[in-house]
Amino acid sequence: MYGWVGKILRVNLGTGDVAVEDLCPEIARKYLGARGLGEKIFMDEVDPKVDPLGPENKLIFAAGPLTGTMAPSAGRYNVVTKGPLTGTVAASNSGGYFGPELKYAGYDAIIIEGQAREPVYLWINNDKVKLRPATHLWGKVVSETTDSILTETDPEAKVACIGPGGENLVLFAGVVNDKHRAAGRTGVGAVMGAKKLKAVAVRGTGGVKVADRDAFLKAVFAARAKVLAHPVTSAGLPTYGTNILVNVLNQAGALPTRNFQTGYFETADKISGETHTATRLVRKKACFGCTMSCGRVTTVPGGPYASSGEGPEYEATWAFGAQCGVDDFDAICKANFLCNELGIDPISMGSTIACAMNLYQEGLLDEASAGLPLRFGNAAAIVKLTEDTGFKRGLGAELALGSYRFAEKRGRPDLSMSVKKQEIPAYEPRGVQGMGLEYATSNRGGCHVRGYLTSPEILGIPEKLDPDSIGEKPVWLKTFQDLTAALDSSGVCLFLTFAIGAPELADLLTAATGLEFTVDDFMICGERIWNLERLFNLAAGLTAADDTLPPRLLNEPMPSGPNQGKVARVPEMLPSYYQVRGWTQEGTPTEEKLVALGLA
Amino acid sequence: MVQVLFFASIRELTRTKATEATAATVAELLSQLIARYGPKFERAVYSSEGLSREVIIMVNGKHLQHLPDGLRTKLVPGDTVAIFPLVAGG
Repeated sequence: MYGWVGKILRVNLGTGDVAVEDLCPEIARKYLGARGLGEKIFMDEVDPKVDPLGPENKLIFAAGPLTGTMAPSAGRYNVVTKGPLTGTVAASNSGGYFGPELKYAGYDAIIIEGQAREPVYLWINNDKVKLRPATHLWGKVVSETTDSILTETDPEAKVACIGPGGENLVLFAGVVNDKHRAAGRTGVGAVMGAKKLKAVAVRGTGGVKVADRDAFLKAVFAARAKVLAHPVTSAGLPTYGTNILVNVLNQAGALPTRNFQTGYFETADKISGETHTATRLVRKKACFGCTMSCGRVTTVPGGPYASSGEGPEYEATWAFGAQCGVDDFDAICKANFLCNELGIDPISMGSTIACAMNLYQEGLLDEASAGLPLRFGNAAAIVKLTEDTGFKRGLGAELALGSYRFAEKRGRPDLSMSVKKQEIPAYEPRGVQGMGLEYATSNRGGCHVRGYLTSPEILGIPEKLDPDSIGEKPVWLKTFQDLTAALDSSGVCLFLTFAIGAPELADLLTAATGLEFTVDDFMICGERIWNLERLFNLAAGLTAADDTLPPRLLNEPMPSGPNQGKVARVPEMLPSYYQVRGWTQEGTPTEEKLVALGLA
Repeated sequence: MVQVLFFASIRELTRTKATEATAATVAELLSQLIARYGPKFERAVYSSEGLSREVIIMVNGKHLQHLPDGLRTKLVPGDTVAIFPLVAGG
């Protein structure tokens, strides 16, 4: 095969068995790789009703056909499983260098089965695959774990591991590779922890063959030229990182603040990309094969939050910042670095703390049980509670369940700003209507990177849509969701789509794989993957009733700012969305649609 | 007075986060700002075809493109105009 390396590694942690299997070409053609391939394998093998933290759940690491090639920003892989936070299919995407290394070792994917009796890590050195004891690593944070494994194996290896968060089954624990890049969302790290798999280390010295080298290079340079010419991918992201969004969303009145009580944070500039760049940035950092270098190496040089690490990204800055009413950027950095080391998702962490602050505000959580005053704006609280959550200490043991379960226990699940029990990210649906529909319909719970309508609604890319309108949003969202599903499954970074689209990606896939991918083929792959995810969720027990938003956003008009008086209009858009998708009004794909997509 | 806020690379051109101005419309405000901050600022907000596609201008949080009068949008004392380069993230 070309693009794909054609092999899948299967490892059973219970028996220690290791097997190498051929990748089915027909499945690869229909589901591409990474997210789509991992999900197809997962759904063929796992009962949708499986206990996410039980031994019958599987964990799949999968790269895409473009991963590890010269295609722009082609360093992505996905971790696929059933998520413990949401009960939905979980596919969590990460960059860095781990995905390419997996391909160079000779595998498109790893299927992890069963559960180890004692902690282990998986060491893949090309065709030599071993499970090694990891008792000595259990309890260690991500950087220590990674360094130890590199010493024990090969300094050139790439390591994806869990921190204490995953070990302690924090329901929003992630898998962290290359120390700082994370398959962060949906709790894939907790599944890894339940399996007592501390890490996967991989060293590969092979390569990835492409079908038509000349055509591939032509497609690579055509795409790269556009990335290097576009103001966002050539200037904005490299210069300021993703934090550049703080001020834009705030000025648009769509920066969720104090647990979505309003959309404007008075001191947002103190936590913005401009401030980050001017005061705390050490240098930029790129993932494999990327010219955008949106990663940030950051140092807080002194004070109570003195620390160093990577990030914070926009989402983490928002979650610990505006969402908690905190404008101390040093504390935000510290909390974010803790998330990287503990292996937990900063979006869910920050928003769960914000939910606790909201409960405190309502008098439903007292200072004694919290261990400190949980008023909005308490910078010390975001740091302490993040650490306590990773180690499941004190109130952290409850926060580790995520905001929905935490608030539900106190009789106020409405104060959890989540969809399908996963915390929604940093765009206020009352000010960005299409993003509300995206949150409500995302197949992995509240998520912004399944169909990023902020791009047209706020930023004007590829064209400007009115963030307040709803009529055209279902069609736009379907297109974005399908495009993103296909892009994720190809193994490249979503940020490319600010500069290139389906035509360039289809050309890259065609030249790499030797299979003809038209733009329609590419988009249908995405639609097929989206529908496959939907079928899994329906079989797992979710219904159309889960395609909704927190009641605050649907019922409470925005109190102030540019979006004053507005509510999220998801209920008005949802019937149209189902229709555009070719689904029934109960949100179920029709037989006709499934036949057309080859899913029946 | 109209409050004018600058962000990202626009802020680097103006070397200030904010200023105040008295202008009747957005176009008039931009003319004043061009006079104040020079040709680099002009190239950041205008192209040969009119308002640059690489600038985001919001009046009281509303993108200029969704204001019916566009550059002719009237400004009154107390209004806030925010000016960004085209940026994105996620």
